[in-house]
Amino acid sequence: MNPKRPLQPTRRAWAKAAGVAAAGVAAAGTLENCSRPPARVQAWAPVSIYRAAAYSEELYGLVRRMIAEHALDVRGKRVVLKPNLVEFDAHTVINTNPKLVHAALEAFRAAGAADVRIAEGPGHRRVTLDLADAGGYFATVPKFESLFTDLNLDETTKLDLVRPLSKLQSLYLPNTVLGCDLLVSMPKLKTHHWAGATLSMKNLFGVVPGGVYGWPKNVLHWAGIPQCIADLHTLFPKTFAIVDGIVGMEGNGPIQGTPRTAGVVVAGASPVAVDATCCRIMGLDPARIQYLQLSAGVQNLAEELIPQRGERIESVATSFALLPELAGLRLSR
Amino acid sequence: MLYSEDLLSRQNADGGWSYFRGGSWTEPTCYALLALAASGMGQQAEVRRGMDWLRRCQRPDGGFAPRESVKESTWVTALTLLLPPAEGFDRARAEAWTVDQTGRESGWVYRLRLWMLGAGSSTDSMSFDGWPWYPGAAAWVGPTALSVLALQKMAKRDGGLANRSDLKKRVDQGVSYLLARRCRDGGWNHGSTRALGYDSDSYPETTGLALLALHGVDDPQVTRGLARGEQHLAVCQSSEGVSWLRLGLGSHGRAALPSAVGRTAKQTGNGSNIAEAGNSLPAMHGGVMEIALAALADAAQAGRNSFLDV
Repeated sequence: MNPKRPLQPTRRAWAKAAGVAAAGVAAAGTLENCSRPPARVQAWAPVSIYRAAAYSEELYGLVRRMIAEHALDVRGKRVVLKPNLVEFDAHTVINTNPKLVHAALEAFRAAGAADVRIAEGPGHRRVTLDLADAGGYFATVPKFESLFTDLNLDETTKLDLVRPLSKLQSLYLPNTVLGCDLLVSMPKLKTHHWAGATLSMKNLFGVVPGGVYGWPKNVLHWAGIPQCIADLHTLFPKTFAIVDGIVGMEGNGPIQGTPRTAGVVVAGASPVAVDATCCRIMGLDPARIQYLQLSAGVQNLAEELIPQRGERIESVATSFALLPELAGLRLSR
Repeated sequence: MLYSEDLLSRQNADGGWSYFRGGSWTEPTCYALLALAASGMGQQAEVRRGMDWLRRCQRPDGGFAPRESVKESTWVTALTLLLPPAEGFDRARAEAWTVDQTGRESGWVYRLRLWMLGAGSSTDSMSFDGWPWYPGAAAWVGPTALSVLALQKMAKRDGGLANRSDLKKRVDQGVSYLLARRCRDGGWNHGSTRALGYDSDSYPETTGLALLALHGVDDPQVTRGLARGEQHLAVCQSSEGVSWLRLGLGSHGRAALPSAVGRTAKQTGNGSNIAEAGNSLPAMHGGVMEIALAALADAAQAGRNSFLDV
């Protein structure tokens, strides 16, 4: 695996924390000096924008092509796919579509991954398997139950955060994601009534275990939502993002919004760059999204700094409706 | 397989239970023990081993952590108070820990801030002391309902709330909190009834749990909650949700479902005990929580509600 992550001066710190988790040791790990974004950007890993008209069989080939284009070497590695499961509804766009997740599962297996799991820890509903069933996961992914880990109820390891951006001093996190070699964040393309947009970085709220912190994971709210998103991003530097933007959600997301067809899948090894690109596709200014500011600095979010592959942003841009309170986030071109 | 047999077969070597597999957690252990006690197995060696595991998990502050490796007492402490009395378990300190917990929004700093912003009133949901999942966070419906049930049960053991004015005050606050956090549709979700001016929908699980905690409360809001609970039950897609609704509706004298037969399947799609009894209900996934809650709902329907009866 060789995803370029030039904005992450965290490999040493991550390796230390991951080593603790991989060894199955319950003792606290430590992440050092990893919460401050660098003042200057060198380069982001490329972001790919793929057109996808529907949740069809074509997604299987698309994700395989994506893995090849991003030179993801997952041979012999443990991969965890982290979709966004929120509510019981097979007919709206609240959850990441299971077809895309299954396509990723098959593609990473075909690429030689030793183990590919699907894992999620919803923030409001406790009955995760029922929720996944209602969302079509059992029907779409063969043997889903044996492939799935409820991150709310997984074994955990406590990590101490040194110099976090949020008020968190430490966090219990699931060993399934701490011990994997590649975490694939697979959110839905959505607006979010608090954070502005919920994408691959915000999706990591789902790794925080409800079994420890409850439903919702309210400690994150008190510690600062944008800051926690930035901290979680730092805690998981080996994250590849695949955003389900085929049909997204606009308006009062992430739960009560309305479907909005964008017809894209967006992917890359730099979640900040992927999320910034997704914002532009939705018509949001990434420089006004606080967690992106915190993670990268406004100067590093400029469009010209993010290498784009596949479709151009302009060719797929789909202006998502925003709540009036979020009108100030609108991208002006 | 009987629920009780299924639960016993899932007990870990250390005496506790996991949610599905792996290490023991306090929450599924409490529900498994409660269900086994409800099925008349309270004196079995397995139950004593479970209580021993739980006893070892009590923390110096009197509370309980979600699991041994977590070094913080949380909402699961209330669950331990629902269990039958057992030797060596410092119930008084667990009770004291629970009584001391309030949501962060109950603090004077937060309320002063709300008052200065003109956002608070004497009747809104911020005015009542509920319970948080985790210390330092806000109060929510789930832990508040369970804490109300736990303190009510503790008071019953002492002859009732009239004899425990200290508990009565907190129980009354918890009940008021629950009534104030009812969703516009009549039921309860996790505790956020509105966001940015938009109404939120209720959930089956939390509606059932809140109704259970509000048993005996004569209030038009509860009546509306019961109606919403019955609506949820008709379409509920979760076995745990069905069990909570049966417990909640049943505690108000509403006959939720025909009595089940006390048998369960281990795999999804095989049908639960209730499905075998002829009702079309959600499949079970083999989790300890759903098995224990189904057993508790059956027992309640048979006249023994382990959340309410001493």
